[in-house]
Amino acid sequence: MGAYLVRRFLYAILTFFGITVATFTLIHSVPGDPVSFYIGRAGIASLPKSTIAAIKREYHLDEPLPVQYLYWLRGAVTLDFGRSVIDRRPVTERIFEKLPHTLQLNVAAFAIAALFGIPIGLWSAKHSGRRRERAAAVGFFLLYSLPSFWVALWLMQIFAVKLGILPLYGMVSDDYHDLDRWHRFTDRLLHFVLPVITLTYAQLAIYARFSKSALTEVIRQDFITTARAKGAGEAAVLWHHALRNALIPLITLLGLTIPYLISGSVIVETIFQWDGAGLLYYDAIAARDYPTVMGLTVATALITLLASVFADVLYAFADPRVRLGEGAR
Amino acid sequence: MKRALLWLCLLLSLCLACGRERKAAPPPPVADNTPRDGGTLVRRLETDIITLNPVTASSRYDSYVAQYLFTPMVYVDRGLQPVPGLAKSWDISKDGKLYRFELNPKATFSDGTPVRASDVLFTLRKIADPASEAVQTAGSFELLDLPNTKVIDDHTIEVAFREALAMQLVRFRDVYIVPEHVYSKGNFRNDYNTTVVGNGPYTLVRREANREIVLQRRKDYWGTQPHIQTIIFKIINDHGTAWNALKRQEIDETVIASDTWLREHNDPVLNRYIDFRRFYKFNYNYIAWNGRNPLLADKRLRRALAMCIPTDAVINDLYHGTARAMSGQFTPDSWAYNPNVPVIRYDPVGAQQMLASLGWTDHDGDGILDNGKDKGRQKLAFELLALSGSATGKQLVQMVQAEMKKAGVQVDVVILDGATAIQRIYNGNYEAAYLSWDLDPDPDPYALFHSSQFPPRGQNFAFYANPEADRLMDAARRELDQSKRKDLYWRLHEVLAEDQPYAWVVQASAKWGINKRVRGVDVSPGLGLFLWYPGELGWWIANAPQR
Repeated sequence: MGAYLVRRFLYAILTFFGITVATFTLIHSVPGDPVSFYIGRAGIASLPKSTIAAIKREYHLDEPLPVQYLYWLRGAVTLDFGRSVIDRRPVTERIFEKLPHTLQLNVAAFAIAALFGIPIGLWSAKHSGRRRERAAAVGFFLLYSLPSFWVALWLMQIFAVKLGILPLYGMVSDDYHDLDRWHRFTDRLLHFVLPVITLTYAQLAIYARFSKSALTEVIRQDFITTARAKGAGEAAVLWHHALRNALIPLITLLGLTIPYLISGSVIVETIFQWDGAGLLYYDAIAARDYPTVMGLTVATALITLLASVFADVLYAFADPRVRLGEGAR
Repeated sequence: MKRALLWLCLLLSLCLACGRERKAAPPPPVADNTPRDGGTLVRRLETDIITLNPVTASSRYDSYVAQYLFTPMVYVDRGLQPVPGLAKSWDISKDGKLYRFELNPKATFSDGTPVRASDVLFTLRKIADPASEAVQTAGSFELLDLPNTKVIDDHTIEVAFREALAMQLVRFRDVYIVPEHVYSKGNFRNDYNTTVVGNGPYTLVRREANREIVLQRRKDYWGTQPHIQTIIFKIINDHGTAWNALKRQEIDETVIASDTWLREHNDPVLNRYIDFRRFYKFNYNYIAWNGRNPLLADKRLRRALAMCIPTDAVINDLYHGTARAMSGQFTPDSWAYNPNVPVIRYDPVGAQQMLASLGWTDHDGDGILDNGKDKGRQKLAFELLALSGSATGKQLVQMVQAEMKKAGVQVDVVILDGATAIQRIYNGNYEAAYLSWDLDPDPDPYALFHSSQFPPRGQNFAFYANPEADRLMDAARRELDQSKRKDLYWRLHEVLAEDQPYAWVVQASAKWGINKRVRGVDVSPGLGLFLWYPGELGWWIANAPQR
């Protein structure tokens, strides 16, 4: 067990370095660099040569790529990820400022998508092939194919502009600082509604279809017939016998979606002016803000690695065989 | 399905239950046209500012905020003439190299200390220091002669330049003086991005990244007091969201996208409280031709290609009539604009004849013109770059592509993101590119077309070189007599239009929506609403609560 953990840990570190090397090479091999960002910023004013040289020196752009990576690594091991090319603030400060916003938004969206999507999947599996189920499936498919920027603007138009019951944009209202605790909470909650719906509706379809197909597969197996034969009610069969077995592919899906927690909501963040990491990532890549891109990569890599460990634990919880396998090792 | 409906109802009622009483819509603006003091103006920023340090500022939005926090050395007025700012007067030596500024003796920083000539010297040093990376001003003060720049007394400074330039005085509008006793401590580049000590009519109350910036009028401001008490900048990236916020009266002003303008600006309900403004600024859209490309080096070919651009269709279909055709480098609002230079009209037949006279005909019948040589046969084809960020840009290059195809010219459209495009263009690794310029108030196009300004030195990525144009630009930027200077630019306008280093496509107008409770809004031809004097500092709020 101990050896297994050590090995896993070493693999994780190796993967981590692989990710940073790959991202570093990738972002540096894309045409354009911080100098082109500054040239674009200067507009019609020409940048003096000395200024360009100063920018290059500052970001070590005049050094070979491996040396640049070592510079970055030297900073990274001391948790110094440098300063953003865009606004010169420390990268860690920028990320820690925005990451919680994005995580709140996306975790809420994932939770709601799963909360509604899985029961819908159950229902679909039970009524599989009937007209109602087919209609629902088509409905979800249509929902899935709606472009999210369009849905966002449409929701905004109805709930914020026409009805005026939900805030238009932002994470809190203007008078947030003057509110008592309860109203602060509801104020934040209200600001969550539209962005979360925009993020959720498509995922809802994914979860519903995914859990339905997983369940349908399980329902066909012999032990379900056995369960029915012993007289268990339909609900009990689905909840106790089938769902638990269908959890494994769902956990896999969950694990796969976790990297999107950081970067998956750029459009929603833009439209609703949600000050999150997705937008930060997007802007950083557009500006060739190497330090910020690398910082966010590290954050994503860490979260993904943690998530894979977490998924393993969940597997063990859902499937006794995994636990047995561990014990036998 | 029923259950889903039930959930939706629950959700809705939850929203209603949690919703607080919204602020009632403000009373209809009074007709009274005398300025009032007080009130709050809510402006929109498309992108958060990068820094509050006016020397290292690098975006238009930084300047929008700096204009409230600082009083520049000189302002330009509505007609682009320099007027006193921090400097109450100035003298320029006969040779045009020495500027003697008298600072306003009453001027103070927001921490109460007086603005001294030594602060001006400190700021100029910071602008000239490459380590500051002062992208917006370093280029305009490259000829600064620091060793000969002297503080005469507390309120007088002589600023020296190595060469005399006609537009140097106007460039002092971008010089915002920072206090040496504050900004000399720590790291100039890193430590003053989120705090500020300015000398302008407003001070910073708070800044929340990507949300808002709140400014408050200074009680002890030394110059003419502006009317509005509080300025709030709301950061809203998305144009659609900003438009909705304007409709809901959550913000007072925003730029409006062309399609929204077309759909909404005649709506009678909106017109009751939104003032729709449309005006031209010093900017234009153009196709740059790479003069180093053997194919595009011929100005007659460039002219023929320009004749294939469907300017009228672009103006009517793409911009819904809110743009105008261009005859050359200078826009009609500029004194440098020569009205006698004709616009190149859309004429595909004429273009084909011209191309035929240059030896380009369709010899092999494939629909694309070629030079007919058996050996080294070349087709008339080029790659046209466009930026991914601009929706109208993408549509325009497609229109150009379709028109050119009719004339037998093959255009391959390549859409690139900004940084990639900039790198390719500045390395000369392109054939044609659809871009736009925001021009300075001074018309000098030296950086764009002078043969000494090939990248990375300048912005002449069209690699245009014409001795006559060089001579005109050299003379015009040194000519201190305005009427002689005008003559030089009128001639330059002709020369550039003849040579077609760019195909000048259109000048698109800026479209703005402003809440009618905001009064005193005036437009400067060329600069638009902001960054001139009084400009935004002359606005007031009609329904401001009276103190």
